[in-house]
Amino acid sequence: MGSSQEILVEAKNITKTFDTVVRALDGVSIEVRKREILSVVGENGAGKSTLMKILVGIHPPDSGELYYMGERIPFPKNPLDALKRGISIVYQERGVIPHLKVYQFLFLGLEDKFTKLGRLQLEKIIGTAKSVFDELGIKCDLGSYLYELPLSTQKMVEIARAILSIRLATGEGREGEVTPLIILDEPTAPLSIEERDELFEYLLNLKKENSFIFVSHIIPEVMKFSDRIYVLRDGKVVAHHDVAAEKVTEEELFREIVGRESYYDLLERYGYGQEQLQERPTILSVRNLTKKGYYTDISFDIREGECVGLFGPAGCGKSEIAKTLYGVLTFDKGKIIMDGHELRAKGGPYSRIRRGLGYFSGETGKELFLYWSIRKNVSIINFEKVVRKHLGVVPVISLRLEKSLAEKIVKKLRIRAPSVDTECYSLSGGNKQKVSVGKWLEKSPKVLILEDPTIGIDVGAREDIYEVLLEMKKNGVSMLLVSDDPKEYAILCDKILMLKDGVVQRVCSNKEFRSLMGL
Amino acid sequence: MKGEFEKSTVVTTVALAWRLIRINPALWTIFSLIVLFSVIVPEKFLSASNLVAILKSFAVTAMLSVGPTFVILMGSIDVSYMGVWMFGGALVWLLYPYLGLASILVYPVFGLLVGLVNGYIHVKAKIPSFILTIAVTAVFAFLTTYVRNVSGVLTLTVPAYNFLRESPIPYLPSPFLLALPTIALAIFFMFFTKVGTYLCAIGSNEEGASLAGINVRKYKILAFMISGFLTGLGSIAIFVHLGNQTRVDFDPSELIRGLAAIVLGGTPLAGGMGGPHRTLMGALVYVLIFNGLFLLPGVDPNHLKLYIGTLLLAAVVVASKALKGALIA
Repeated sequence: MGSSQEILVEAKNITKTFDTVVRALDGVSIEVRKREILSVVGENGAGKSTLMKILVGIHPPDSGELYYMGERIPFPKNPLDALKRGISIVYQERGVIPHLKVYQFLFLGLEDKFTKLGRLQLEKIIGTAKSVFDELGIKCDLGSYLYELPLSTQKMVEIARAILSIRLATGEGREGEVTPLIILDEPTAPLSIEERDELFEYLLNLKKENSFIFVSHIIPEVMKFSDRIYVLRDGKVVAHHDVAAEKVTEEELFREIVGRESYYDLLERYGYGQEQLQERPTILSVRNLTKKGYYTDISFDIREGECVGLFGPAGCGKSEIAKTLYGVLTFDKGKIIMDGHELRAKGGPYSRIRRGLGYFSGETGKELFLYWSIRKNVSIINFEKVVRKHLGVVPVISLRLEKSLAEKIVKKLRIRAPSVDTECYSLSGGNKQKVSVGKWLEKSPKVLILEDPTIGIDVGAREDIYEVLLEMKKNGVSMLLVSDDPKEYAILCDKILMLKDGVVQRVCSNKEFRSLMGL
Repeated sequence: MKGEFEKSTVVTTVALAWRLIRINPALWTIFSLIVLFSVIVPEKFLSASNLVAILKSFAVTAMLSVGPTFVILMGSIDVSYMGVWMFGGALVWLLYPYLGLASILVYPVFGLLVGLVNGYIHVKAKIPSFILTIAVTAVFAFLTTYVRNVSGVLTLTVPAYNFLRESPIPYLPSPFLLALPTIALAIFFMFFTKVGTYLCAIGSNEEGASLAGINVRKYKILAFMISGFLTGLGSIAIFVHLGNQTRVDFDPSELIRGLAAIVLGGTPLAGGMGGPHRTLMGALVYVLIFNGLFLLPGVDPNHLKLYIGTLLLAAVVVASKALKGALIA
């Protein structure tokens, strides 16, 4: 069939600028055909989510045109408006309400059609739910709570909910007249490998009646299940592939997603990872570390001043390993030895910090106290630097020391803020991240664990953060990097462990990694 | 063949019963408390007068806790039931000369208004619900005492309602009968309207609820209104139980009583699950413990509150553990 299929929705020349100068979308055009799975891929910040939000009416576009079955229509004003056009969205993780029963969740917000004088007609609700589940081929007990179901089934229930709400919004039961378009925003992020396959089988089955836009950055699954692929980068469509008509390789897609040009620039500025660290002492050793269901038999060493990267697709266990090292998660088997001390599985971050570990995640708000000032956020982990002993014994926090410490960091990281007493919520994303990483700067931990250190911030702020990290590294701080961005590994890491399904596939040097990734 | 079929029905029945008990940990507590006290002090515990006392006490505890359950269900807390109960009674007393017998209806109306104001302030001004409602309670408790002091009477009694104290059915005390409409309404809201589902959804995942198109702020206010209304309606039973008068001095142990019934029943203070049906069981647990301990030989009634407090502390810890194991894992 291929391109002869009817076009369901077409968006032309969509442009969206947010209050800053950042252009989130710059003349993006996409078309969705009837009964297909269309993938939209791109890095974080490429504009995928913004595009989807425009399609379901959460954001209005600055300019652009929307066509539905060849006819020009206004952009939906809100999600309900989009529903009436047959467009619905399934959110990444936040959508499920764990303590509701399946049928309650299925009809959440749609009860009005099943109410008589304020009284719910439970029999009718359960009856409708049953027929929908039979039709869509979902097998689960309608009376069970959502948290009792496997994650993949929860996703299926969410998709069923999306289809059901479209049907109710466009007029009951008239199937075939409206082809529902379901947008799936990174639906596989929380799922295990088997659960993913189960979900995809389900989607392929539903494709006979529905269209899907599948937003993702996990390349293998995109390649496997899409009919067509759009690649977004920096708010523009940079490539379009019809998978049935042409052959696309994973590497090709990967390069299109990250964009080659921007790499070389950064790499040349900061140089590549060092390779002569063999004579440095080992700081942290991990031996046969295993956590059931996440990763198996992980072993590696980190030397002083060395940065080790854990690289692999989402769900390969890399972020769980990082969280285990920092004590957020426990492990089942194996050993973590730091400076000759074995770290307990259940020690928690507190004991890890005392041994000289640090952790920095780019997810803003995760480790920042948003309603505190920059000064307080810095001193919370640097108390030994801001406390002065009165009479030799009474420790008192010195405002002056706090201020000078924070000011030092603000200056060094070029944080744009009126003063160190500015509350963090008022800072921009990049500046928040700089405060987060800056507080470790003075702490100088022996090993700093980095999880997506530059997620969702602009290039300028990124470079500032790399600069700080590289300087810390030069001063002998060891690092462990977990990220989605190969560019980051190329810049920061000396040694990279390639992971897949929780197992180390191979260990490569920075040079090998770059040639492997074509950087 | 037939035998096999029967066996499988037995198995499913047992599984169902087990699920019921697992989800409602208060059930086995009630059962074991009844067995325990029936064995230790059978004559006293199983006497007709004691069972009637249990029913009365149950009615009072349930009326203090059923309403606030809806607020706790959605993850906030409402302790203004003390204020509604105390000052509502003072209003009934004040307005009786003007409204006559109808003045008892001031109770639910007052409760509804307090709920509306609570909910509105909580949502619009984003004030933590505990602080807000305890402040409201403090104000109303003071006003109640003030009314008593200014009017120069000892108690705020309305003798005209004495006819309400007579129960038409033997062995079913009138406070218990007066509590039934409130219980029925609570169950109706929870299971037969969308409100129960929405509040549960908000407590479980507020963002998800809002993504599902629920007007979260509206339903938050509604939860406080239901809470206030049910408390007001239920306070009539307590009013009658105390001899057609209201409490004029603030007693923190009454405050604890309502919250204890909710938590013992299995509605965690974080919300998201549970509901008034569980609170009713929790109220029964609370009443049974209190009543049974009182009957035990060698238990000094003066120390009862201490024992109850300690027991509650243990029970809350155990209950939250049990809930975690059974429901969250």
